[in-house]
Amino acid sequence: AMAKLLLLCLKFIVLCSTVESVFEDQVGKFDWRQQYVGKVRFAHFDTHVQSSKKVLLATEKNVFASLNTRTGELFWRHVDMTGPEGNIDALLLHGQDAVVVVGNGRQLRSWDINVGGLNWEMVLDSGSFQASCLVGQQDVVKHVAVLKKTALSLHYLSNGHQKWIENLPESEAVDYQAVYSGGNGEVYALGVVPHSHIAIVAYSLEDGEIIKQVILIHSTPWLSDIQGSCAVIGRGMLTCVDSPAVSLYTLDLHGQSEMTQIPLQSLGLEVALGFQPVLVSTQPNPARPPLSEFFLQLGPEHHLLLQLNNDQIVTLRDFKPVRNCSTTSLSCKIFYILACSLNLFSAETGRRLLDTTLIFNMDPFGGKPETLYVQAFLKKDDSVGYRVMVQTEDHTLTFIQQPGRVMWTREEALSDVVTMEMVDLPLTGTQAELEGEFGKKADGLFSMLLKRLSSQLILLQAWIAHLWKMFYDARKPRSQVKNDVTIENLSRDEFNLQKMMVMVTASGKLFGIDSKTGSILWKHYLENIPSNAAFKLMVQRTTAHFPHPPQCTLLIKDKDTGLASLHVFNPIFGKKSHVNPPALPQPILQSLMLPVMDQDYAKVLLLVDDQYKVSAFPSTKNVLQQLQEIASSIFFYLVDSSQGRLSGYRLRTDLSTELIWEIVLPTEVQKILSVKGKRPNEHVHSQGRVMGDRSVLYKYLNPNLLAVVTESTDLHQERSFVGMLLIDGVTGRIIHEAVQRKTKGPVHVVHSENWVVYEYWSTKSRRNEFSVIELYEGMELYNSTVFSSLDRPHAPQVLQQSYIFPSSISTMEATLTEKGITSRHLLIGLPSGGILSLPKMFLDPRRPEIVSEQSREENLIPYAPELLIRTEWFINYNQTVSRVRGIHTAPSGLESTCLVVAYGLDIYQTRVYPSKQFDVLKDDYDYMLISSVLFALFFATMISKRLAEVKLLNRAWR
Amino acid sequence: MASPGGQGGGGGALSTRGARRMKWALELSLGNTRSRGDRQGGQGDVVYPIGYSEKPVPDTSIQETDKNLVEKRCWDVALGPLKQIPMNLFIMYMSGNTISIFPIMMVCMMAWRPIQALMSMSATFKLLESSSQQWLQGLVYLVGNLLGSALAIYKCQSMGLLPTHSSDWLAFIGPPQRMEIMGGGMVL
Repeated sequence: AMAKLLLLCLKFIVLCSTVESVFEDQVGKFDWRQQYVGKVRFAHFDTHVQSSKKVLLATEKNVFASLNTRTGELFWRHVDMTGPEGNIDALLLHGQDAVVVVGNGRQLRSWDINVGGLNWEMVLDSGSFQASCLVGQQDVVKHVAVLKKTALSLHYLSNGHQKWIENLPESEAVDYQAVYSGGNGEVYALGVVPHSHIAIVAYSLEDGEIIKQVILIHSTPWLSDIQGSCAVIGRGMLTCVDSPAVSLYTLDLHGQSEMTQIPLQSLGLEVALGFQPVLVSTQPNPARPPLSEFFLQLGPEHHLLLQLNNDQIVTLRDFKPVRNCSTTSLSCKIFYILACSLNLFSAETGRRLLDTTLIFNMDPFGGKPETLYVQAFLKKDDSVGYRVMVQTEDHTLTFIQQPGRVMWTREEALSDVVTMEMVDLPLTGTQAELEGEFGKKADGLFSMLLKRLSSQLILLQAWIAHLWKMFYDARKPRSQVKNDVTIENLSRDEFNLQKMMVMVTASGKLFGIDSKTGSILWKHYLENIPSNAAFKLMVQRTTAHFPHPPQCTLLIKDKDTGLASLHVFNPIFGKKSHVNPPALPQPILQSLMLPVMDQDYAKVLLLVDDQYKVSAFPSTKNVLQQLQEIASSIFFYLVDSSQGRLSGYRLRTDLSTELIWEIVLPTEVQKILSVKGKRPNEHVHSQGRVMGDRSVLYKYLNPNLLAVVTESTDLHQERSFVGMLLIDGVTGRIIHEAVQRKTKGPVHVVHSENWVVYEYWSTKSRRNEFSVIELYEGMELYNSTVFSSLDRPHAPQVLQQSYIFPSSISTMEATLTEKGITSRHLLIGLPSGGILSLPKMFLDPRRPEIVSEQSREENLIPYAPELLIRTEWFINYNQTVSRVRGIHTAPSGLESTCLVVAYGLDIYQTRVYPSKQFDVLKDDYDYMLISSVLFALFFATMISKRLAEVKLLNRAWR
Repeated sequence: MASPGGQGGGGGALSTRGARRMKWALELSLGNTRSRGDRQGGQGDVVYPIGYSEKPVPDTSIQETDKNLVEKRCWDVALGPLKQIPMNLFIMYMSGNTISIFPIMMVCMMAWRPIQALMSMSATFKLLESSSQQWLQGLVYLVGNLLGSALAIYKCQSMGLLPTHSSDWLAFIGPPQRMEIMGGGMVL
């Protein structure tokens, strides 16, 4: 009966869902993308055109990009390989060519900075990269020199061809670290034998012949590293700083063979204890020698501007306290002074230039400035103006103009999102007022009535104000109507489609992003986050418990020490909560969120320490009492992948634990890659599947089921395998075990409802394969009211099927909806940057090889080994998401709609409708037509009724 | 649409069609072609007195043969539903078991008609009141209708519209309650 009708509807839905794509006018309506570059390693302002708006960035994410300095938007961006192969070692800018050394000196590339096109690319000989510089002669720069561990090579800037390559003498003993050219036809390779001496080799620019070789035996027993300690200043004067002796040493590269010692005391200076002094020189034009003015940093906040004048070093200015200093061409030097002000100083005199102070307000929730990139320019009246790009510890790029106006900010921390959650927005004030009314205790009939009336009045008032605003906005041209989302006017929309995205980044900066527009509503930088920290974000209290504010807890664990800390905050405003998290003196192994709430509606968080003792947060009396009552039904499992150990524990009433099961997978044979449980907020609407003969195959919906993925330690292609273990997390019982031979990882897993989908690489057939496991209880339910892992006498039926997938994948996640009625799709992030929405229907182990009447009745697609990628399944059309690392799905208030956020280098947010929008009228629904037809029919009925009356009357007269 | 004979015996007839244009008109010549067709007699040239009817008045006296006729008529009514069954069977066979709008309409009609008949049982009994075999006829009528609705149910069954399978009740099974709370994961 109904089932058939439902099937009919489903058929219709299935037919419709194959045409799932976006219309041209819907582009950007429900989705947005933000592109990032990562933490900046090198930055150069384009100076060859006076009015240029470009700044070139090479980042630690192996991205080479050009930014618009007026808006902060990307002109173009090149994303290289991840890992050391794509690492950008050096960036040299000359005219409109940018020369980049990539992959530890493997490749030399030249880019046209105007359009971002590749001029040329050269593959260099192997050898680890040391340094590179532009080489010029007679004011013309034509070459680029690349210094490697054993050789020095010179390339033409115009086409990249190698002019000459020379082996470095005694390269086994000498560590060549720097290359220098002063524009006089010679190229110097500077090397050091640590704690012994300096070696200098001069090459002729023309043919690479060694002109001169200087080895100063036992000259520098204190020197271990040239970078930072030494710099070439003025007309080829190598200057080094020795911190134990508190002296400067100078050596003329052109003639001298003896180092001159200049004690810093003679300059009246003192070095901060334990600080390695740093020398910084500037060479504005590679065809000319460097400036004779240079910086010496003596302490974290102590900088010196020195000048080399006829072999004499003169102090021009002592900057103290100064945190950062930076130099720029136009023969000026710029300093960042302590708090938030910048000043421009002339290098010749050390005097401060007038009207060059720049004061800006630091973000109180941001980090401290790390690096300054200064762009100086001549104003019309020949005075010097400048702009500055500040990179702070939290990877934020801020571009500031005089006298302190922030032009733009880029949150580059978002290129490295670790984990995220989507939190419902709060109700509007009036709605909350209404909600609050039901929360309060009753105090008399009359006052309740009054309260109700007043709140209704407020609602009416708000509605009228809303109508008025609509009317007012409708008269304005559309471009002027802006719905700026600020933290004050945030409120939940009708269908809960707009949410707050709480994102945790690897740098320790937290963000609150509006999911509708992508604007950053709050940010909070957590200082002193270790670089290898593990994060776990949990929502303890949602917005549903007005007037209690929502509450999120972030568990931060230092992987080295094992010690963890909790950061409790309000996910809507980003403010640190006044709730004090407990101090955690013991290393924490895992955390566990219970569905139990305290009297303030905050869910209880259990933290398991390395003694397997449990502490609760919040730990009020009420909570502890509740915990005691239900302790015997609380279980947790821990997976130690280094020892191959899975263990299950049960909570005792005194908050200690007892080990109840343990499985050891020998690490010599296989290692545990990942463990996936089910998502706690997942709902399954249908408890079974309807067969062709109208009987029911009931699903095995074990909420405690864990999917454990293992990979063989032996990676030989004949003996490697990928294993899938399905374990009950309460009892430790192995429900099912599957092994795919001649396969290897990386394995991507999705575990949901009664199925597990995983993807691996088949070494035998050299292709990517998908496998799906589905679990069924059979034709009868064992117990339809309660599910207990401890009372399950029957093993489930297991079905499995595998498919060939034409692409490798980066990440995988399943859609999630409010009630779980909508059919499921798998969202697959591809390395190409596409996000594929693959219907789960195609990954169904019940797909028959031979089509029968029953399978047709069930709408099963006949089995085909290949899964095709249909272009209309890409949910991000041409909005490529680079390096997708994770996909987060969240249900919305509409059953048909699932919110999707893909993050990696870029962030992309959209909505998907796996079964089409069955609960929403289409965008192009013709309200006019329908209502006019309705009205017309209504009037036609009235008129014909009248006519019929007249006719009847007349007939009666006959 | 002639006006009723309110013009007296003058023999004049007032034409309403004419009255639309003029206030009144007196037709002097009898047997005018325009109003002839409107006359009750159809002849037009004979004027009947008031109260005269052209139709013969039926003989209302009860005769023996009428009794038989009533009986026959009552049996017709009682056997009506049974007679429809072969036709229904034929329609059922023709419409097939697929679910589409026409078979559904037919099944609805088939099911609705006996139900309607059963609802108005008392009215039918009133009809059969005059018959001597009233109770037997009523029983036959009832059985016929029941058979009709049974047929409709059978049709529904063969079309799969009856909730007789476990899959039809699947949507009402709620998710089972969890007895254990479990969580954890890889050691952070």
